Amino acid sequence: MPRARLVRFFSAGYLTLIYAFFYVPLFIVFCHSFNYSKYVSDWNGFSLRWYESLLSNTAILDAALNSLLVGVCAASLGTLTGTLTALAIKRYYFFGRKSLYVAVLMLTVLPDLVMGISLLIVFIALHMELGFFTLLLAHTTLCAPFVTLTVLARLAEFDEYLVEAARDLGASESRAFLHVLLPLTAPAVAAGWLLSFTLSMDDVLISTFTTGPTFEVLPIKIYSMVKLGIKPDINALSTIMFAMTLTLVLLAQAITRIRRK
Amino acid sequence: MPRSDAKAGSVFRAVCIKVTWLWLAAFAVVPVFALMLVSLLHKEHYEFFIPVLTLDNYRELLGPVFLTVFWDSTRLAALSTLVCLLVGYPFAYGIAKSPATWRPWLLLLVAIPFWTNSLIRTYALILIIGIHGMANKALIGLGLLSAPLEMLYTDFAVFIGLTYTFLPFMVLPLYASIEKLDAGLIDAAKDLGANSAEAFWHVTLPLTLPGIMAGCMLVFLPSFSCFYVPEILGGAKNMLLGTFIKNQFLVANNWPLGAAASFVLTLLLIIMAGAYRLAGVYVAGRERKDSPSHAPTPVSGDE
Amino acid sequence: MLQRLVSLRHSAAIFFFFCLVPALLHALAGEVSQAQAAGNPGKNSGKKRVIVYNWSEYIPQSVLNDFTKETGIKVVYSTFESNEAMYARVKLLRGKGYDVVIPSSYFVDLLRRDKLLKELDHSKIPNLVHIDPKRLDQEYDPGNTYSIPYMWGALGLAYNSRHISEDAVARWADLLKPEFKGKIIFTDDLRDAMGLALRASGFSSNTKEVGELELAFDFLSKLKPSVRVFDVTAVKQALISEEAWIGPIWNGDYLVAKEENPALKYVFPREGALLWIDGFVIPAGAAHVDNAYTFINYMLRPDVAARCVREYKYSSPNLAAIKLLPDDLRGDPVLLPGDAELQNAEFTTVVGNALREYEKYWEQVKALR
Repeated sequence: MPRARLVRFFSAGYLTLIYAFFYVPLFIVFCHSFNYSKYVSDWNGFSLRWYESLLSNTAILDAALNSLLVGVCAASLGTLTGTLTALAIKRYYFFGRKSLYVAVLMLTVLPDLVMGISLLIVFIALHMELGFFTLLLAHTTLCAPFVTLTVLARLAEFDEYLVEAARDLGASESRAFLHVLLPLTAPAVAAGWLLSFTLSMDDVLISTFTTGPTFEVLPIKIYSMVKLGIKPDINALSTIMFAMTLTLVLLAQAITRIRRK
Repeated sequence: MPRSDAKAGSVFRAVCIKVTWLWLAAFAVVPVFALMLVSLLHKEHYEFFIPVLTLDNYRELLGPVFLTVFWDSTRLAALSTLVCLLVGYPFAYGIAKSPATWRPWLLLLVAIPFWTNSLIRTYALILIIGIHGMANKALIGLGLLSAPLEMLYTDFAVFIGLTYTFLPFMVLPLYASIEKLDAGLIDAAKDLGANSAEAFWHVTLPLTLPGIMAGCMLVFLPSFSCFYVPEILGGAKNMLLGTFIKNQFLVANNWPLGAAASFVLTLLLIIMAGAYRLAGVYVAGRERKDSPSHAPTPVSGDE
Repeated sequence: MLQRLVSLRHSAAIFFFFCLVPALLHALAGEVSQAQAAGNPGKNSGKKRVIVYNWSEYIPQSVLNDFTKETGIKVVYSTFESNEAMYARVKLLRGKGYDVVIPSSYFVDLLRRDKLLKELDHSKIPNLVHIDPKRLDQEYDPGNTYSIPYMWGALGLAYNSRHISEDAVARWADLLKPEFKGKIIFTDDLRDAMGLALRASGFSSNTKEVGELELAFDFLSKLKPSVRVFDVTAVKQALISEEAWIGPIWNGDYLVAKEENPALKYVFPREGALLWIDGFVIPAGAAHVDNAYTFINYMLRPDVAARCVREYKYSSPNLAAIKLLPDDLRGDPVLLPGDAELQNAEFTTVVGNALREYEKYWEQVKALR
């Protein structure tokens, strides 16, 4: 059928176009990390000078490490909190269950700007010293609701009778969780963790409001550069970080592939 | 529905509930109330606020400046949501109709750009749509243009930027709902004499409505308060809600006014989220009478 | 069955990972913050630090690295993108946290009034002798009790000589010329924008008269339709790439931009440029005061100051450093403007409660179509 082939041709063309739209800007960032020119307007020859300058730029490297640290911690804490919340909301009757569910929904739609500001007000009112801990708490709050929703979506799909069966066989609630619920929700939990990590690594606003002088994270650094022009060091750093994440994900894919065989 | 309560009293259950309560009370309820409180305070001199109760801040929000800001933001968010939907629907459809082995990879390809900082990606767009950017060079090289187009610092640039940033939020829920679609239904409609357009309009579209709504929410909400895309790509010519609030806190040091604007924004979003949920319940109820899930699940759980 | 067992153990591992990793990192971070708490001299001989809060792109990284190499003091460097953001932050932290901050002139005054600054002991900054007396003892900080100048500069007009002839630009008011419509990059800084509009309308850039502000607002509302971009994003970039042809810009930024696009030219507008001096201050609650003095004194050393000027092209108040500059830089009237260039120029100062009026007018300008 030539018509079907035509449709397939157009659909493939459209997909390619949109993917190009996604990837051309990234590609440009990578290219410019090798560009000699400082104000990335034109190609002035291949050079590794920005990678060298990145290596000596302790401020950017520190900020990147801090971002990673907070990202991993907040994603993990957020996943833990978010998963427990999803379980509580889905599986137990208790006082305030419905309103707490509404609160979770509210947190997911709350603009980060508002979240950052309201948390700052609380931290200041409690005389907490702004720094790693306040930032971690804020990012955990940013991440957890998304985990809750992801896990809830997964919990809605499977059969509650599996847990019932385990409980009838004498498993305690926590054992039932560990042996039945967790394996079943593991993909959603993992997806939630990844999403959280991405959210935390990309957040400017909440970090701006809730971190302290000694704990600067990468997005803040980049944002304060926007006014004066982003340094090519950042392009180099983005390229390195992108390559690293890509490698990790491909590795993870390859491992699951092998294990399936 | 919750079921395990017959076996209440386990430690695990207690932990789950306590964590939920503690977390949501400390980080959702208390901060929002604190915000509300600050929005009722008075601003003076160089102090952030002084503890005198007043409604002045809300009164100030009714002035022409804030209303313009509010209208501009709404318009921008609504239009960019529409653009994302129009661009994203065929895209999601294309992915959902591709061979099953490709789909996870195609989805992964949508997610990958997110690992690069969004400010940097926005910045990279300048290099494409700038006056000496790649797009202009290409068009002039092909002989389609004689002089470069001014695309940067226009509304067009802002739409490109917002679409670029938020399109994946539209695509993922759309994909989830299109993938579930039963191809048999469309065939049945066609057997009954509908042409492709009619089948799409009467079958595909209504069945993917939950995905459409979820996607629209996920794009509209963040683009409503997004500030860096309009600042970097739009030239910051109109003040938008995100910038307005941020400036009250970081430039004007007027916390009460900023808190009042944030609170209005939050209320509005909650109303919208509520409306969305009601609409979701309505659609689900129409779809099948016994809807087992009470969660609207706007985030697709399958990776 | 076996498969289920495997996945079970797997997920248990995931679960423990989620619990354990944060716990471990917490412990680690706890240790770090303990080291911070022990920031007093004596306890921390191994790990000396100075926490600097500065504009981004203002001190070359190599200078910071050399400072650490020479003194063993690690520089923790955080950056801000506007004076207002810096002020809000320092105030929020009640002067604690940072050891050295670099605000512009009138913000020194604000911080001082809020009692957020430490009085400086000039005997600990011997390199102060190199500073040009003309840049000392200004109105914003009499006797330099609280601040030591780092760089100074002026807001003037840059234009692209490929598109704009040299005799078309001499005054701020020239921005209103119809031929510049849609080609202007304009400042997004409240005081700079209102200040130059006030100068263009014939008033002091620090007026407290509402009537004069009203006229400045008129100027800006006539200007707004001509503006292509407000410089929340990089000014340099828009001028270099010729997205914009003309606009107010700091002289240092202009000189850096000119290296990339030689067609750019600069004038100090006849109504008067807007001046600022950025200075080092030590916040009242600084934890590493001695290190802060060491840092400031190091930055005033002529060779170091000269390196900063060569990199960022702002005017240095450091006479000994200027002597070390190459001839072409030293003779450049844009880098080191004299009395002729600075005729009518004015420092931006604190305007007290009138600031609220400035803000209101500026918000109206931004809300205009």
